[in-house]
Amino acid sequence: MDRSSLSSRSVQWAFLALAAGAWYLATATGSVSRLFLPPPREVFTALVALVQTNAFWSAVLVTASTVAKAYVLALIIGILAGYLVSRSKLAVATIEPVISGLFTIPITLFFPMFILFFGVGTGSKVAYGATYAFFPIALNTIAAFANMEQRYLLAAQSMGGNRWQIFRYVLMPGALPVLFTGLRIGFFICLASVLGGETISSVAGVGRNIALTAELMEPGRMFAWISFVVCMSVVLNLLAFSFENRIRAR
Amino acid sequence: MASLSSATSTPAASSTPIWSRFARSPFWLRIALIAAILLLLEYYGRFHADPAFMRPPSAVVEAFFTSVISEPKIVSALWLCITEISIAYGMSVVFGVAIGLIVGATKFSRAALFPIILLLFAIPQVSFMPLVILIFGLGPAAKIAFGFSHGIFPIIVNVVAGMRDVKELHLRGARSMGASKADIIRHVILPNMVPSLFTGLRLGMTLTLLGVILAELYVSTGGVGYYTRVFAENYNPAPLFALITSLAVIAIFFNEIVRIAENTLTPGKRRAPRIQSKSVQK
Amino acid sequence: MQNNQDKIAISIRNVTQRFGDASQPDSVLALDNVSLDIKKGEFVCLLGPSGCGKSTLLNVVGGLFKPTSGTATVEGRLVDGKPHPDKIAFVFQESTLFPWYTVIENFHIALKFQGIPKAEWDDRAMAALRAVGMASFARHYPDQLSVGMRQRVNMARGICVKTDILLMDEPFAALDEQTRMVLGEDLSQLLAETGKTIVFVTHSLSEAVFLSDRIAVFTARPGKIKTIIDVDTPHPRSPDFMLEPKFSELRNECYALLRDEIRATMALQRDPQAV
Repeated sequence: MDRSSLSSRSVQWAFLALAAGAWYLATATGSVSRLFLPPPREVFTALVALVQTNAFWSAVLVTASTVAKAYVLALIIGILAGYLVSRSKLAVATIEPVISGLFTIPITLFFPMFILFFGVGTGSKVAYGATYAFFPIALNTIAAFANMEQRYLLAAQSMGGNRWQIFRYVLMPGALPVLFTGLRIGFFICLASVLGGETISSVAGVGRNIALTAELMEPGRMFAWISFVVCMSVVLNLLAFSFENRIRAR
Repeated sequence: MASLSSATSTPAASSTPIWSRFARSPFWLRIALIAAILLLLEYYGRFHADPAFMRPPSAVVEAFFTSVISEPKIVSALWLCITEISIAYGMSVVFGVAIGLIVGATKFSRAALFPIILLLFAIPQVSFMPLVILIFGLGPAAKIAFGFSHGIFPIIVNVVAGMRDVKELHLRGARSMGASKADIIRHVILPNMVPSLFTGLRLGMTLTLLGVILAELYVSTGGVGYYTRVFAENYNPAPLFALITSLAVIAIFFNEIVRIAENTLTPGKRRAPRIQSKSVQK
Repeated sequence: MQNNQDKIAISIRNVTQRFGDASQPDSVLALDNVSLDIKKGEFVCLLGPSGCGKSTLLNVVGGLFKPTSGTATVEGRLVDGKPHPDKIAFVFQESTLFPWYTVIENFHIALKFQGIPKAEWDDRAMAALRAVGMASFARHYPDQLSVGMRQRVNMARGICVKTDILLMDEPFAALDEQTRMVLGEDLSQLLAETGKTIVFVTHSLSEAVFLSDRIAVFTARPGKIKTIIDVDTPHPRSPDFMLEPKFSELRNECYALLRDEIRATMALQRDPQAV
């Protein structure tokens, strides 16, 4: 590590220390209400107590299985639809603007309809998460397959590749990086929308617990839940990026 | 003989191109696709669907006039929503651009601060929603705060990226012509950032809308969220769909403003692509 | 020979340029003790295999690089790693026209950077555009022009600032053969009219012979000047010059000199440890 990256690292640590210090000071001096920001120690003990309960793990399990179901659904439909559309220039020109246009309006708007159709249980969150994640996955699948440069396909054809070989050795590897970007964005959108759906209206799951602890005015436990979500999302992001980099490097 | 055959073939030859021109025009195909979907919904909604869950588009339009636009309370809730979006977005733009300029200004500030911004951007903010409501209350302040906290990040990120991605060639060219540091910032770095800035402004709008709508739906004791809940709980889908569609139209309207600003204000027609990789749009 | 042509415009003395720390194995010695004097109003080509350091030398003269050792002096003033935009204009291989400004705005910006009064901007810009036949494209954005047109404008911008010295770094490299030749004729014409001193980097043999008063042929890395060839034909030169036996003789001479160096470069690329 050279000197400049060392000093930028130290700025980052300083920022973290500053944030932690501000948190500690604000709560120790009582200048911020305990309701809005409990002391770090209280959050930590609440988190330790929380992970030892069965309720915690069952809530995490509900959210995880909802996200998994929604994501798999979005994955299958998004990739399939995206690939089919990408096969025709006309279909791309017709349908892609519709999908990208819809994606700019918050799909959250339609959340009440999902509640109406699928009820307040996990079904509505699966449908809502899958719908939201469908957009980036489909859009990136279209971009990945439709933007393949024609000269590579012509080269493969001229070398005598058959349809399957061209798909397997030219189209697929060429499309993977863009496809994976879509899968990553889709996953985190899926996660956020399931959490959001649970927060707005549900009976179980992590999001529901954050909303519940807020309603019950239990800041310690609420912050414990929030810190859990923040830590999980940081870990998942790092995993996704290293996975994506490995795919790209190949 | 020759004249006869040409006379009979002419109308056929001229009538096919018109149809095939429509069939090959993405714009008209898109219109046809949307119309077909609406017709299908109309047919299904009229003859097959349970009216407690779904109503045909015609009934939704009717409900828009009879139970949305005619209700002063709903109209004022929609206006409030528009106000919240405008304020949240205005704040996102001002603070997002300012912070982006500071972070993007030097190599060091980028290396030190940009990872922090990206990390914060990656956290699902929705987990903070109940806290935001707790702090800012059930009124418009919380919705503005939540829209702002969503909208600001893509703007910062894209301003920084735009300042970082200036071409070495342009910098060298400017320096060889005797440009001062201030000249380079004013005439090279800032104009180079503009397309990326607009990408950020577009994404920022989408996320501001998301933040405001999320908070609106979460706070179901007042505002738009209250009416969606009432309509959904009473199994009254027509006004629910009408209200949602009105909000969608508002969202489209806001997105269009940003798009038009982008098209008119980007110098030299250097627009950023719409999706991650090269855009396939005509 | 006229009197002012004997005045030295650019003086390069023992310039050595090393990239990276000399103690590190990945450091590159780009220029090794190069000296060259260029007279006022002279057209000198730096010709050599790619990667031989000829562009580096141009950047040293232009003040964009500070040499590791040695000096470059322009009209009696030490360059020392700072651009002297009042004396030197640069034309790069790729167009450095800013895509966010129109053609005419690009000229204005260049003139503004040089501190030229606003009242003169339009006249100067239009005169330079007319000289390359691009006056009718003044309000276009660079992206609306073809590559060849863009490079013509780019060249005109280098001319319009009215410095005595013009440094050109492979300005025609991205163009097709025909456009290259037409622009070369334009340049020869301009040289005869304005009496500018031009240093021109290229790896095209014909271009070097057609345009130059003198050709400095470089060795492979680390770059040194191998030979200097005189082309004793006055400017402006007509395309007929290319048909003269003298042209092909000089061209062949250059090629013979370069061939060994290109082979040496290839050997270096195959096995960097060989030298």
